[in-house]
Amino acid sequence: MTGLIGKGLGTLAVAALLSASALTPAMAQTTLKFISWQVDDAGNGDWWASVIEEFEKQHEGVTIEFTKVERGAYADTMTTLFAGGQPPQIVHLASFEFQSFADTGWLENLDPWIERDNIDLEGWAGQSVCQWNGETVCIMLSYFGYIMAYNKAILEDEGIAVPTTYDEFLAAARATTKDLNGDGIPDQFGTGHETRGGAGQYLTEMLSYIIDAGAYWTDKEGNVTIDTPEMVEGLSRWKTVIKEGLTPIDMSAGDVRKLFADGKIALKLDGPWLYGTMQEGEAAADTVVAAPPFTVPLGGSSNVLTMPSEIPDEEKELVWEFIKLTMSPEFQRTYATVAGNTPPSPTADVTGVEEAVPHFPILVETMQAASAGGIDRIPVGLELNYNEFSKMIQEETQRMIIEDLDPAEVVKTMQANAEALAN
Amino acid sequence: MTRTFNQSLMLYLGVIATLALILFPIYWLFITAISTSAELSALPPSFWPADAQWEIFARVWEARPIPTWLMNSMIAALGSVALSMVVSVFAGYALSRYQLRGGHALGLFILTAKMLPATLLVIPLFAVFRNLGLIGSMWTLVIAHSTLIVPFATWMLKGYFDTIPRELEQAAMVDGCSPMGAMVRVVLPIATPGLAATALYAFVLSWADYAYARTFLVNAQDNWTANLGITTMKGEYVTDWNEISAAAVFVAVPVIIIYLFLERYLVGGLTAGAEK
Amino acid sequence: MSHAKMFDLARPSRQHLLGYILLAPAVLLVGFIIVYPLAIAVDLSFQDVRIPRMGRRGEFTLDNYERLFASSEFWMACWVTIKLVAVVTIGSLIVGMSTALLVNNRFRGRTLARLGMALPWAVPEVIAVVIFAWIFDSSFGLMSWLFVVTGITDTMIPWVSSPSAAFWAVAVTMVWKGFPFVSIMVLAGLQSIPADYYNAAKVDGASAAQRFRWITLPLLMPVLGVTLVLVILWVFRDFSIIKVLTEGGPLRTTQTLSIMTYDQAFGFHNFGYASAVGVLTLVISVVASMFMLGRGTKAIY
Repeated sequence: MTGLIGKGLGTLAVAALLSASALTPAMAQTTLKFISWQVDDAGNGDWWASVIEEFEKQHEGVTIEFTKVERGAYADTMTTLFAGGQPPQIVHLASFEFQSFADTGWLENLDPWIERDNIDLEGWAGQSVCQWNGETVCIMLSYFGYIMAYNKAILEDEGIAVPTTYDEFLAAARATTKDLNGDGIPDQFGTGHETRGGAGQYLTEMLSYIIDAGAYWTDKEGNVTIDTPEMVEGLSRWKTVIKEGLTPIDMSAGDVRKLFADGKIALKLDGPWLYGTMQEGEAAADTVVAAPPFTVPLGGSSNVLTMPSEIPDEEKELVWEFIKLTMSPEFQRTYATVAGNTPPSPTADVTGVEEAVPHFPILVETMQAASAGGIDRIPVGLELNYNEFSKMIQEETQRMIIEDLDPAEVVKTMQANAEALAN
Repeated sequence: MTRTFNQSLMLYLGVIATLALILFPIYWLFITAISTSAELSALPPSFWPADAQWEIFARVWEARPIPTWLMNSMIAALGSVALSMVVSVFAGYALSRYQLRGGHALGLFILTAKMLPATLLVIPLFAVFRNLGLIGSMWTLVIAHSTLIVPFATWMLKGYFDTIPRELEQAAMVDGCSPMGAMVRVVLPIATPGLAATALYAFVLSWADYAYARTFLVNAQDNWTANLGITTMKGEYVTDWNEISAAAVFVAVPVIIIYLFLERYLVGGLTAGAEK
Repeated sequence: MSHAKMFDLARPSRQHLLGYILLAPAVLLVGFIIVYPLAIAVDLSFQDVRIPRMGRRGEFTLDNYERLFASSEFWMACWVTIKLVAVVTIGSLIVGMSTALLVNNRFRGRTLARLGMALPWAVPEVIAVVIFAWIFDSSFGLMSWLFVVTGITDTMIPWVSSPSAAFWAVAVTMVWKGFPFVSIMVLAGLQSIPADYYNAAKVDGASAAQRFRWITLPLLMPVLGVTLVLVILWVFRDFSIIKVLTEGGPLRTTQTLSIMTYDQAFGFHNFGYASAVGVLTLVISVVASMFMLGRGTKAIY
């Protein structure tokens, strides 16, 4: 008897608690949710923190909740949030992942906002990537050019000059991959590439060699251009580097960068963000940034900022203010000085940045070279299927390495598969 | 039983070797935590680092909100234990004492909770919890974890209750006790080992969850549980393996302690269920 | 406080009612988490959907299933799943039973040994994966170094980019995490076998092996049945171990059905197709568990 009553009361209590937590008290404050993977990255994280601080100062009663989701879990977390109807108000995405969201109509068309405030995006690096179905769906945050960093101590030990062409690069890598303590296992590598983890990154690692060989996945109209002699050359180069053991294998990008920063790798091709890691490594005194030894360096869009189309208008106003703040001259400049990136704004004041970031001129140089060459990591015509495409390429490349296939054959397979995807 | 010296020796050696092999990865976690990055990227691997970095534990404890993460894991775990125990005790008791029509079917149905791939559960569950306004709240974990725990816990408790003779409740009911009262006042006190086993099982399962926490607590940084917190230590550009390992040590310790205390009930609680 | 006569649950005719009431929370809880998402998944699997929008429906189509059955990737995933289930289950069984038998003997320090044997069960999967990913690191990991030093191979083994090695790395990790459960269950089962049976057998002159075969094994069958089902379901469903170690590669050699479901859903945004894979996975696991439990689904409850 009493047991039943107790149980009944218990159930009521639980129900009350549940509904209490479901009720949100009327809020005097507005909170904007902002999710990113860059929250505690050296450089970028600090820059975001400064933008948020300034924004909150300018808008009393508005706070921004800045939460980290790690890169590996980012895509599916964002997908879940959007599909479940609770996207963050400030949307930060990598430049290869926003397309499905745009295609589903989840991203706000920014053209009316841009026109209303008379913003001129002419010359804004990489902004064309943000066009989808005739609408501007995001603002390009970062367009970059690749660099090559080298360990001068290692090169000097072998008496090698800094490479300026692919052949010199290959020779230098071969000469510097060695076993230092005589146990038969190499502990110093000529170069380092990520070969573990996402297909997107895998392709990026290959692209430096491929672009220098004069090839690319698609042309400007979106036709697949894999079955070409240039691509065969590009794939052969990649195969050579991997099969000769010039790079540690099965490592993630972060681990390879760390190895380089700690002085175990001679040459490293990477984006400008490598600098932050370099400075914290054990070989910081020996590592130097230089231009990549390739005719057209790899470059491309990195990440974009936008807002969801299904949030209330007052929130959209606030998010637009935030986006404009990141685009303002002051913060475009600190994007360079604090985060060490090349700001996309054509009018950004980058004088004197070399004092804080000594290799800045190189960054600008490679960015402009890549931009002039129309280079991006996302092939035109395959944006929606990029993940499937890159997974296919990664698989066929791995098959080429594991089964020792002829690159000339592999390109044919890749061409056929890519064409099937593009249609 | 009498053993020859050789047999004893073999037995002890076997046990020690097996234990060493099984526990080695845990030892390795600890070693990785106190190694320097230089040692980690060198061969041969050091079985005890030359320059043990004991301060890494203090460093990680201060740099990351580890106490908060551990607290949250604890809250989720205790909540899950409470909810799942109530539910499983009721269900296990029902299946034990009553010949219910469709009892088998219902039992199997409960088991199907373990069959659906997590990928497909994530978005619908997110939508459901969102409609209830629970996203970001620990309640999502309490409920979600309980559904993982209940199937096996019910089975375990049913088996345990089966070994408790019904005469006890019947005697109590003759004395004027209601069925529920008999269950609560007569059976449960005797079933403490079984209950302890269930509690341990529930705790371990809840503490181990990562997928649900990662989905439902994304926006609620203050509510992050320990496993979720650790994975966010992976930077976009670089990961410090010794720091993550040190954090992992912090996360593993509480659950290992609880396990050490309650393990003896686990076998006992299951033994009864194993007798068919 | 008095209840209306209707709710006097002590009456024998009302006893069953109480039983159903007590069972209800469990059924509701599980139903809430299972029925709704399952319904959505089945629904989606019949639509041509890339990313699901809650509240919208596409038109009915069988395309996903057609594509699925014609896809070599699906059959490969099935094959990999079966292989992994077999290897991990047998491995866990052998290691679990051996450790249980070992610890079932009486010796000093037995409680400590018992504690240690099943400790991996308590370690969260996320952490176990961190440990093993590091141990199986191709360039600096312990496992590769051991293989080289003991002369089994000449060079470091690429655990992630070699198809065969990757499978074994995943299998070993899963066995380490999975066997303690078997060990605990078997130990419980062993302790419920009356010592008299063994004594009688010894009097009759049975050897250790014979006692195992004719007494231990048969009496353990019910426990083993349930245990194996749970282990199999765990391997079917498990996702984070493989995802972090090998991501399903290389060349799909560690891509189980659950990894394929994830990749299609969140990697390629083919939710309709992914749901079809998921639904089929569910069907297969239901069939497999019913087969394992055999005639006696009563053996569960």
